[in-house]
Amino acid sequence: MSDVILDIRHLRTSFFQNGTEVRAVDDMSYQVRQGECVAIIGESGSGKSVSAMSIFRLIPYPPGIIRGGEILFKGHDLMKLSYEEMEKIRGSEISMIFQEPSTALNPVIPIGKQIVENILLHSSMSKQEAWQRAELLLAKLDIPNPAARLKEYPHQFSGGMQQRAMIAMAMSCQPSLLIADEPTTALDVTVQAQVLEQLNELRQEYGTALIIITHNLGIVARYADSVKIVYGGKIVEEGSVRDIFNHPHHPYTIGLINAVPRLDLPRSHGLRTIEGEPPDMSKIAPDSCAFKQRCRYATEECGSRRPPLTEVGEGHSCACFHMNQAQEGAKEVVM
Amino acid sequence: MLVNDLKMHFPVTKGLLRRQIGSVKAVDGVSFAVKRGKTLGIVGESGSGKSTIGNCLLSRLPITGGDIMFEGVNMRNIPAGSMRKMRKTLQMITQDPFASLDPRFTIRKCISEGIEIHNTISGKQAIDEKVSEMLNTVGLRPEFADRFPHEFSGGQRQRISIARALALQPSFIVCDEVVSALDVSIQAQIVSLLMKLQQEIGLTYVFIGHDLSVVRFISHEVAVMYLGKIMEITSSDELYDHPLHPYTQALISAAPIPNPDVDRARERILLKGEIPSPMNPPKGCNFCTRCPHADNRCREEEPVFADVGNHHFVACHKVTGR
Repeated sequence: MSDVILDIRHLRTSFFQNGTEVRAVDDMSYQVRQGECVAIIGESGSGKSVSAMSIFRLIPYPPGIIRGGEILFKGHDLMKLSYEEMEKIRGSEISMIFQEPSTALNPVIPIGKQIVENILLHSSMSKQEAWQRAELLLAKLDIPNPAARLKEYPHQFSGGMQQRAMIAMAMSCQPSLLIADEPTTALDVTVQAQVLEQLNELRQEYGTALIIITHNLGIVARYADSVKIVYGGKIVEEGSVRDIFNHPHHPYTIGLINAVPRLDLPRSHGLRTIEGEPPDMSKIAPDSCAFKQRCRYATEECGSRRPPLTEVGEGHSCACFHMNQAQEGAKEVVM
Repeated sequence: MLVNDLKMHFPVTKGLLRRQIGSVKAVDGVSFAVKRGKTLGIVGESGSGKSTIGNCLLSRLPITGGDIMFEGVNMRNIPAGSMRKMRKTLQMITQDPFASLDPRFTIRKCISEGIEIHNTISGKQAIDEKVSEMLNTVGLRPEFADRFPHEFSGGQRQRISIARALALQPSFIVCDEVVSALDVSIQAQIVSLLMKLQQEIGLTYVFIGHDLSVVRFISHEVAVMYLGKIMEITSSDELYDHPLHPYTQALISAAPIPNPDVDRARERILLKGEIPSPMNPPKGCNFCTRCPHADNRCREEEPVFADVGNHHFVACHKVTGR
C-alpha cells in the first residue's frame, strides 16, 4: 500500500494575463500512494483544478505554462514525455472525470462507442470484448439494462447517468490514478451519494488511486485518506483526514471547518465565518502568506516572508507562523 | 403567511394548435404556514417544485389552485393596483448574482430602482442616503455605489442583491438558492448576514435550497419536498433528531457530515434510481418508486399529510407516531 505512484515536486504553473504573471500553482509538492484517496480542498480560484490539469498536461498554452517542477508518475517524469507518449498515458494509466458530464461527453456519438473507443485505443482487446467490458462497467455502476443503454446518446441520459458513463469511460482501462475534479457538484444530493459510493467501490476493486478535487468538506470526510488544503496556489496544510478535521492547525483550515453548518449538531452550535473575499491571484506578493488579508493572527512577518510548510506531527504539515495561536483560538470556537 | 392546498400545474402542449397533452404538476397540493419573523426552509432536489413555490408566494405565477393568505389578505383576489403595493413588502433574492443585476446599471441604480418605482422616498439626496445606508447594512462600503456589477465578486453581488431587496423595507423575503453559487467561506458570511438582518429588522424568510445542512441551519422549520409535494415539515432540530419520512431519512444520510469520525460511523441509506418526471408521477405515494419500505398500499393509495404530534407533519403510510 505504501508505494508512491505519483510524486509532484515543486510544481509551478502560471498564466499570463496582459503581461503579468498569475501564479495559479506556486511551488506545490505532494505524493499519492497506490490505491489512496487524496482530497484537494480549496475555494474557486485557489489553483486546485490547475494543479490537476498540470498532471494531465492539459494546460492551454498560451496563456498557461508549466514553469517548473517534476511530475513523477511511477518514477517517470511526465514533463519530459513527448506528446505521443503522454497520449498513451491519458485514459489508460491516468484518467480524469470532470464536473460537467454533459460538456465532457460527445453529444453525437453513442455512449457505448465513446467508452469502447477508449478501450480499443489502449488495449489489444477485440471490438466484441471491448463492448462486453463496457456493458460490465455500466452494470457495475448500477445502470439498468446496460446493453441497450450503451447504444443511446448522452442526451438520453440523466445527469447522474452521464456522470456514471464518464466514470465507466475513465475506469475502462483500470487506471492506476483517477483525477476527479468536482465530480458530483452538478448532481442532486441523493444521486451524488449513489455515484460517489459506486465510484469508490469500483476504484477499490481496481486498486486505483483517486485525487478528488472539491470544496465539499463532507465528501472529503466521507472518502478521503489524506487531505491537502490549497489557498492561493499553495498547500497551506496537509495531513491525514482525521488530523485535518480533528486537529486543524492553519487558521484557514480552522476557519473553513467552522464555516460549514453541521447537520448533526444543534442549530445553536453556530457558524464562524472567514471575513473577506478569496484572494485575487494576480495581486498576491510571492514573498507573503496568501491568507494574510483574511487572517486574524496576521503580523508583519506574514507580509514579508512566506511561511514554509512545517511538520507538526507524523505526516501532518502546516504553513503558518502563528499556528499555535490559531489552535488556541480554535479551542474557544468548538463548544 | 398561510398557504393552503397550493397547486401550480404547467400545461404541456403539442403541435401547431397547442393542444394540451398533459400537465406538469410542479406543485401539487401543498399547505404550510410561515410565522412572522421566522424562517421556513424548503429543501428538495431539482424538479421537486421548491422554486415554483417561491414564485407562487410572490404571485409571479398564476396559481392553478389553493389559497395564499398574507397578513389576512387572500392574494388570489387582489386587484392589480393593490398587488403592486404589496410587492414592496414581498421581495425575492435569487441564486445567480451574475444574472440578477443589470450589468449596465451602477450599484446605486440597481438599489434605487425599486424606490423610484414605488416612490417611497423622493429627492435625489434622500435616495442617495438610503443607498448608502443599505450598502452599510449589508457590509459593503458606500463608495461602491458608483461602480458596476462586474467589478464585484459573487459574494459581494449577493450582498448587493440583498441590499436591493431591503431598500423597500419588505417584511417577507423569498431566498431562492441564494448561497448555492458561492464558495464555502462566503456562504457562511451570507447566511450569517441574513440571520443578523432577521434579528434586527424582524424579517420573515422562506429559504429555498438543496443543501440540507445550510437550509436547516438558517431555518426554524423545514419542509422537505419531493415531486411537488411536501413529505415532512418539522422544526429544524427535530428534523435531524427524529426524521420520520423515509425520504427525509435518505436525504439526511446522503448529506455527508464534515467530520470523518462522525460520518464514517453513520448508517447509510442509499436510494435507488432518480426522481421521476413530474409529468407522470407514480400512482399512490410519490416516493414509492424509490422508497425502501414501499408496499402495495403505498403504490395504490396516496398518504395523508398529518400531524403526528409536536407540530411534526408527515405524509407516509408507514409512520404512525413520533
